Amino acid sequence: MKFISYRVGDGPATFGLVREDGVVDLRARGPHATMREAIAAGDLMALGEAAMSADPDAVLPDVTFLPVITDPDKILCAGLNYKDHVTETANTLPSELQLFMRSTNTLVGHCGEMERPKVSDHYDFEGELTAIIGKGGRHISEADALDHVAGYTIFIDGSVRDYQKHSVTAGKNFHKSGPLGPWMVSADEIPDPASMELTTRLNGEVVQHSTTDMLLFDVPYIISYISRFTPLEPGDVIATGTPSGVGARRNPPLWMKAGDRIEVEISKIGILWADVADEA
Amino acid sequence: MQFLSFSNGGNASWGVVSGDGVIDLGARGPHATLKDAIAAGDFMELAAAGGAPDMALADVTYLPTITEPTHMFCAGRNYKDHVEEMGHAMPDNLSLFLKANSTLVPHGGRMIRPKVSECLDFEGELCAVIGKPTRHVSEADALDHVAGYTIMVDGSVRDIQKHSVTAGKNFHATGPLGPVMTSADEIPDPAALQIRTTLNGDVVQDSSVSQLIFDIPYIISYVSRITTLEPGDIVATGSPAGAGAGRTPPLWMKGGDHLEVAISKIGTLAVDIVDEA
Repeated sequence: MKFISYRVGDGPATFGLVREDGVVDLRARGPHATMREAIAAGDLMALGEAAMSADPDAVLPDVTFLPVITDPDKILCAGLNYKDHVTETANTLPSELQLFMRSTNTLVGHCGEMERPKVSDHYDFEGELTAIIGKGGRHISEADALDHVAGYTIFIDGSVRDYQKHSVTAGKNFHKSGPLGPWMVSADEIPDPASMELTTRLNGEVVQHSTTDMLLFDVPYIISYISRFTPLEPGDVIATGTPSGVGARRNPPLWMKAGDRIEVEISKIGILWADVADEA
Repeated sequence: MQFLSFSNGGNASWGVVSGDGVIDLGARGPHATLKDAIAAGDFMELAAAGGAPDMALADVTYLPTITEPTHMFCAGRNYKDHVEEMGHAMPDNLSLFLKANSTLVPHGGRMIRPKVSECLDFEGELCAVIGKPTRHVSEADALDHVAGYTIMVDGSVRDIQKHSVTAGKNFHATGPLGPVMTSADEIPDPAALQIRTTLNGDVVQDSSVSQLIFDIPYIISYVSRITTLEPGDIVATGSPAGAGAGRTPPLWMKGGDHLEVAISKIGTLAVDIVDEA
């Protein structure tokens, strides 16, 4: 099943089940105001099942997409985690997972606008497979880790490369630099997240193309590693890193600018796109 | 004035210190949290309106000064004496990381030494608490955006920090924050503050905020180029020389240790170390 966070017109933020004929509003059909709450209560799949036989409340063209999880407790991201990307950045293969955090106010909805900052031209794309935590936990083994995933979505880890040289956190936390969506596909439909194909296109040109079996540290490892230091919470967003092809490693570098359209497609999930606009 | 967040019979509230008592401003309304009151811009007026203290300060169960900050931005490698002791070159640029709210521990609380590492280190730090939404603020105007100052222990798990700064700085319950926020009007020049960390009574860090490489106006201005700082956001400024990792042999904290960080005009943040269950 596919779940979105959305609003219609000036209506309230809500979340729903996506079907071929439209969207069923799940906030209106249960006690939960957000997808994160429904995940935390363990109710999301049951709400989705019940909504299969309901009438749609909206059609997709009328929907404004919100970030799949609008208010995650944490957004944790793996860096330098694709073999091909590490090779292109001329780094030796890392012996351990590298993480950084993003702030919630970096998030952008599907079909939204990424904000190219005033202070830098070095605005780069990174398409990423992303897991959404279903059941929280601490000290989760790799063997059990996928049982803690509610589903998968797509993330564009927008990166301001000159600031990233100051610190990864600075370069990865620019306002509205992280589209998340379009929807979460429930984990039952993706038993093996290492078998997916990822393609990033900038203005229709393929700029990244890889498969998730190229991950150096796979989804179970990342979840297990994070749970050694902090409790994972329902709705936490875990981005797994990006493959080769980023703009910074091209000659000359390829930076995104206002008017560009960036899109990331991942098999079994769909296509996330956003337009690039200059900061006002 | 000195503001705090506290738990009153299990209910979270906030208030202002009055003599040796606390005026419960959460109970007087309209704001449930110190963060809400800072965001509304009337926390100073509500405190000045005062009233009789509701409880003795000594009886208060503290909560982290800001219980749910939107951001905790922390500066790394930002004291001259610390960079010199590590034998590093002075950095050209500010280096930042984020701490998650699950790291927070109150004054009087317990900092957890994790199962997976013995290398739990202390870092005493001055923190600015942001007073209003802040984007693209100049250094000259930055201090106008500070509601007050508090103290953080930026607990650091050094072996995991070698994997990534974010991992080493985000262990559960390793970030004490408190005891109080001293309002900015009482600290016109944060660079004049003195900071001292003691572990089991021994002084382990003793420095001056004047040693900062990138000062508070610079840090706030820099972060505001990237994103909007929100009311109640915590901006931790880095730690001076003396951290356990820089000693021979290294000095790691362990279960049963007592850690205190004192900063002039704010007070003393004190916690006990316990092993993760």
